[in-house]
Amino acid sequence: MTGETLGLVAVAAVLVGASVLVVLARNLFHSVLWLALALVATAGLFLLLHAEFLAGVQVLLYAGGVVTIVVFAIMLTERLVGQTLRQMNRGIGGGAVVALAVFGGIAAVVLRAPLGPAPAGPGPTTAALGARLLDDWVLAFEVLGVLLVAALLGAVYLARTDD
Amino acid sequence: MATSETTLAALIVATPFAAALLLGCCPPLRRAGQLAGVVALVGSGAALVIAMRLASWLWVAAYRAEVFRLTRGFTPSREIEATLAWLPQAGARPLATVGVLVDPLSSLMAALVALVAFLVQLYSLGYLADERPGGLGRYYLYQSLFAFSMLGLVFSPNFLQLFVFWELVGLCSYLLIGYYYQRPAAARAAVKAFWVTKLGDLGLVLGIVLLWGATGEFGFEALARSVAGGALDPGFLTLTIGLVYLGAVGKSAQFPLHVWLPDAMEGPTPVSALIHAATMVTAGVYLVARAFPLFAAAPGLLTVVAWVGAFTALLAATLALVQRDIKRVLAYSTVSQLGYMMTALGAGAPAAGFLHLLTHGFFKALLFLAAGAVIHAVATNDMFQMGRLARAMPTTAAVFVVGALALAGLPPLSGFVSKEAVLAAVWQAPGLGVPFLMLAVTVFLTAFYMGRAVVLTFFGGSGPAGHPHDPPPVMAGPLWVLAVGSVAAGGLASGRLPLGFAQFFAGHLDATLPHGPDWLPWLSVGLAGAGLAAGAAVYQWGVVSPVTLARGFGPLGRAAAQGYGLDATYAAMYRGALLGGARVVGWIDRYLVDGVVNVASAWTLRAGAGLRVIQTGRAQDYLYGVAAGVLLLLVIWAWP
Amino acid sequence: MLRAYLLVAAAVFAIGLFGVLSRRNAIGILLGIELMLNAVNINLVAFARAGAGLAGWILALFMIAITVTEVAVGLAIVIVIFRVRRTVEADHLDLLRG
Repeated sequence: MTGETLGLVAVAAVLVGASVLVVLARNLFHSVLWLALALVATAGLFLLLHAEFLAGVQVLLYAGGVVTIVVFAIMLTERLVGQTLRQMNRGIGGGAVVALAVFGGIAAVVLRAPLGPAPAGPGPTTAALGARLLDDWVLAFEVLGVLLVAALLGAVYLARTDD
Repeated sequence: MATSETTLAALIVATPFAAALLLGCCPPLRRAGQLAGVVALVGSGAALVIAMRLASWLWVAAYRAEVFRLTRGFTPSREIEATLAWLPQAGARPLATVGVLVDPLSSLMAALVALVAFLVQLYSLGYLADERPGGLGRYYLYQSLFAFSMLGLVFSPNFLQLFVFWELVGLCSYLLIGYYYQRPAAARAAVKAFWVTKLGDLGLVLGIVLLWGATGEFGFEALARSVAGGALDPGFLTLTIGLVYLGAVGKSAQFPLHVWLPDAMEGPTPVSALIHAATMVTAGVYLVARAFPLFAAAPGLLTVVAWVGAFTALLAATLALVQRDIKRVLAYSTVSQLGYMMTALGAGAPAAGFLHLLTHGFFKALLFLAAGAVIHAVATNDMFQMGRLARAMPTTAAVFVVGALALAGLPPLSGFVSKEAVLAAVWQAPGLGVPFLMLAVTVFLTAFYMGRAVVLTFFGGSGPAGHPHDPPPVMAGPLWVLAVGSVAAGGLASGRLPLGFAQFFAGHLDATLPHGPDWLPWLSVGLAGAGLAAGAAVYQWGVVSPVTLARGFGPLGRAAAQGYGLDATYAAMYRGALLGGARVVGWIDRYLVDGVVNVASAWTLRAGAGLRVIQTGRAQDYLYGVAAGVLLLLVIWAWP
Repeated sequence: MLRAYLLVAAAVFAIGLFGVLSRRNAIGILLGIELMLNAVNINLVAFARAGAGLAGWILALFMIAITVTEVAVGLAIVIVIFRVRRTVEADHLDLLRG
């Protein structure tokens, strides 16, 4: 049992456990907090995969930004403060079946597919990533920027009050 | 190829056409009323003059040909046909031609038609003097159109042209019967006439087409030749010529298609005189005479013609006995006399039938016009409201009596000669004993109802209201001319002329007028005299009260008053068949055709409503679908 | 080794799908979507590590950015819906019902 394997097992356990709690928690706030944990665990997975820059971005944007936004949204859409409403709908059984089926399907494909040996060596450096971004992928990069602006404007417009 | 005879014939047809065209295309001329009448008169007058010329020309030529035959031993053919190609077809011969056929039959018929048309148009100037000028113009347009159509029919050299003019004549009859179009009864009568004759025309066109299909010919001469050559199967021939005969049944009002003629009296009286006495209704008789070689070659057909004719004669005579309307008496009388003509043709003596056609044309037109004068004077058609008119209208009474006697068949009037010929022909023909009896009884009945009509109108009863008087000269003139004709037309057939009827027709029709046994003239005169006397006895001197007589015949009389229920039968057939059929079709349309569509739409809606459940509007439910799709794809794609 | 990462990603994906299908609150559903996107990211990076090249990392980066924008806009919509209909339960949002 190598160190990487051990680490993978641990992080994976945290990730899966947090995810389960995200979808099963009674209180929506708790769900969000468990989501934060799951996102951090994902960052851990990235680290194990030698994608340090990505791990950092994950923590910054996801765990930081997204969770904050969601918390604000929850605050703005609560009808009765503090009341715990039933969070699961009628379709819980069907959902479980479908989810299990999907997992089973993907797992079957994954386990059967002929995959190559595990690679070695360090991952790409941030400099390399940045160079490629502004070299081969510059168009997508710029479009992403436009997308971000559009999303910003859209969110502001949608959420404004009429006065 | 055109000769002077055919040119004359073409002119005879063209002059009324020109008048009709002028009146048709020039509304101001029509609105001028009397002027339109003059235009029409010029057209028909010109036709009359030319027709007389043509007929006499042919007669003289026949006389010379007779001399030829007697001296040289052969008869030059006097039948001239001139045609133009009309419908082309592959090959050298055209499919159909249009033209004129001049022979003794057509020239005499044309002369009669032109004469009666002219006299009737002249008479109408007086009879319809009270009409609106626009209406009068319309009347004369129809009259000219009719004259053109009838003359075109007479001179037709082939079946196709005859059929075209046949239908035109039917159209003119419809237009003229429905002249008083604002009267519902007149409109209905016009439509009825059209429908009933159309039924017969169906047979006519089928027969023509079938004949053409078998022989490729429309022309009378050519068809007679191919029939004589024995090229056609006799059964087929009987079928097709029988269908052609159906057309004659409709047009000439034979049983059972006679029901339109009494109702056609809704038209003005001059119209009745022209087309429902002398000319249009005789077109059927003319057709049978024209196509006589074809009729003779079809086994059994002539027998049918004779029997139907005799039965019609008897039936119509019984119906004439119970009529109150003077025009209806004359209408049924026309039906009866048409039956006479047809019986003669069926007995194999076309000349006798044609002679009766000619004489009947004179005295029936005379009777109608005289009746018109009476109606004009007393403003009613009902004989029981007339009476003692002989003193007030001596001229009219005199000519009416002449016509009545001619119709009854008293010598030396023309009616006697032609009726004699008919009876002789039927007597001589084999197997027509019962028709002969029917005709004999009809002689008695004819005389009886004419006697009744004369007495009721002019001699008996109480006088009418108002001051009736004789008609003005423009109406009286034609009456006198027709009276003279009624007397003298018989002379055509007697041996007085250098060339007799038979010799005139020699080579075209077997025109020997039959002479029956010696007692036949005595029989017919006796029956006629007895009928007249009986009529006078019952209605003038009251020897037997008419009411008692009617009661004696009881149910028969009542049935006769209803036309023996024929009209009711037709109406029921129409209602039953047509409306019943319509109801069935309607049901099919509503429940089957529409039903299919309705069911389809109902199922579509139900399916839609059923499927609508899927659209819950909730995104999560749609996601289920997506997930299921992904699973499906996984299975299809990666299943081992 | 790679398989392990893929299986983990598959598990997270399935859990996220379960959450999307069975949560009532709209924001809860969005959290489930987050998990699914996250799992995809893990997949991408794992394959990139296994030799698919730099494109995998770049794509993962892009996906994070886009996910963030999607969450922002989505939450804005949820807020507007709450303002109009005073509810964020997915069961009540069925205006498109046939």
